[in-house]
Amino acid sequence: MEEEKKNSSLVSRKGMIDTLQHPASFRDPAGFIFKYEGKYYRQVNQQYASHFEHFKSSGLYDLLLARQQILAHTELTENLTGSAQWYKTLLPQQLDFISYPYEWSFSQWKDAALLTLELVKTAMQHGMILKDATPFNVQFVQGSPVFIDTLSFEKYDATKPWIAYRQFIECFAAPLLLARHRSPELLKMFQIYPGGIPLPLVSKLLPFKTMFNANVFLHIRLPGLVGQNKKKTTQQPQAAFSQQKLFNIISNLVSFIQSLQLPFSATAWNNYYDETILSNEYANAKMAIVENWLRELPGTSVIDIGANTGLFAKAAASAGKQTIAIDADSACIDKLYTSCRQNKVTNLLPLCIDITHPSPAIGWANSERNSFTERVQTAIAMALALIHHLVIGKNISFEQVADLCSRFTVTLIIEFVPKNDPKVQLLLQDREDIFGNYNEPAFLAAFGKKFTVVKRSPVPGTDRVLFLMERS
Amino acid sequence: MKFFLLYIDPGSGSYLVQVIIAAVLGAAFYFKTIWLRIKMFFGGRKKEQQPGKQEGHD
Repeated sequence: MEEEKKNSSLVSRKGMIDTLQHPASFRDPAGFIFKYEGKYYRQVNQQYASHFEHFKSSGLYDLLLARQQILAHTELTENLTGSAQWYKTLLPQQLDFISYPYEWSFSQWKDAALLTLELVKTAMQHGMILKDATPFNVQFVQGSPVFIDTLSFEKYDATKPWIAYRQFIECFAAPLLLARHRSPELLKMFQIYPGGIPLPLVSKLLPFKTMFNANVFLHIRLPGLVGQNKKKTTQQPQAAFSQQKLFNIISNLVSFIQSLQLPFSATAWNNYYDETILSNEYANAKMAIVENWLRELPGTSVIDIGANTGLFAKAAASAGKQTIAIDADSACIDKLYTSCRQNKVTNLLPLCIDITHPSPAIGWANSERNSFTERVQTAIAMALALIHHLVIGKNISFEQVADLCSRFTVTLIIEFVPKNDPKVQLLLQDREDIFGNYNEPAFLAAFGKKFTVVKRSPVPGTDRVLFLMERS
Repeated sequence: MKFFLLYIDPGSGSYLVQVIIAAVLGAAFYFKTIWLRIKMFFGGRKKEQQPGKQEGHD
């Protein structure tokens, strides 16, 4: 693996090309991702050649492409890296934004898991199988999960079980089970264990009642029991395996994953716009202003920070913008994702991200997975009914908020919520008011350092004010 | 025990597990089929009056 990295990466052609192997693409000797003149490419290495040819000739690639389950690519015959291992260069469909599994809600995880299993089944019907099963190989493209790793398919040997079975359990079944039986917040554990959550830990964390669940026993607890008798199994038992047996296991996993449903529970923010304090009138008036601005703005990408159940993110999506909606509340995000799938909204990606501590950079040398702020770049950012939570709720200064926003957006639609607002009073209820300088002039002075105010529009029926700003 | 685990390839560790799961699922399927036949036997006699055929198969 290491050798592979040395051989194939950073080999400049004619001394002027900026080919750079992606820092997350070093584990698979079949090939790697590299960046070249601002675009991402995938090199297929010679050792993977026969698998790659089978992937195409069996019709598997075309079928998955037709079902929109795999990322499309164009084959290039040019060796851009100058590597001796080179077999083919692929130019995949370029993605604007990469999300990571620890930013997904329960239903997004579930859909990614079911897609992976479906790919295994389809691949088996074409004499191939998935050699790995990590959620990092799935991205949400136009509202649906899509598999992005073309080199994960290898020729299937029917006498062998699924090599990625254990990985599937640790990477998909384990987080989903913890979410189902403990809390969806535990999906974030994947940030600490991006290679899969260790099964002994999962067994410890699952509640006692799951002791009697056959699927939990078979897939989570059994590996621990089998592992304990290692001495007996040092010589691998070459018990015959068959395609039918593997089909049975995969079908069982499909029904197992499908059966996982979150118990219903209302969250803090789930009913925000339904509550009486914030009337329909307020929401409608605010919507009219925001919709109007969105329609006029030429930018095509939007991020809605603190999106709640996505009322305004949906408005941005209907205005034709490629929209990312982030919120700390995973139940809100899950609701938004499900509603987008049902209504076939394809340009809205909801993610569970708390803007006060967005996803960090993780993995080998802290460079395998980028931090959220490194990944996100949009034309327009919306921060509606958010500022008081950051400033009064979290003691973050106006300047800090302005600085963060200016890093990833050109245009900012932001709502100022004054101190006399009932929601601000609620935040101040149980704490000392140390926010003497929380007022509109101070807000404008701070944001004025990074942005220029283009429009100011009070929201009728409230003392709240909406601002449209451009980065200076 | 922990020490051992570090040196075992997770893929190979799952071989035996999958053999066992396949066996369990196979057995479950077998008993399910029998159970369905029993249900058919009783259900079938009520409605279609054709229990003889099912009996012959068992």
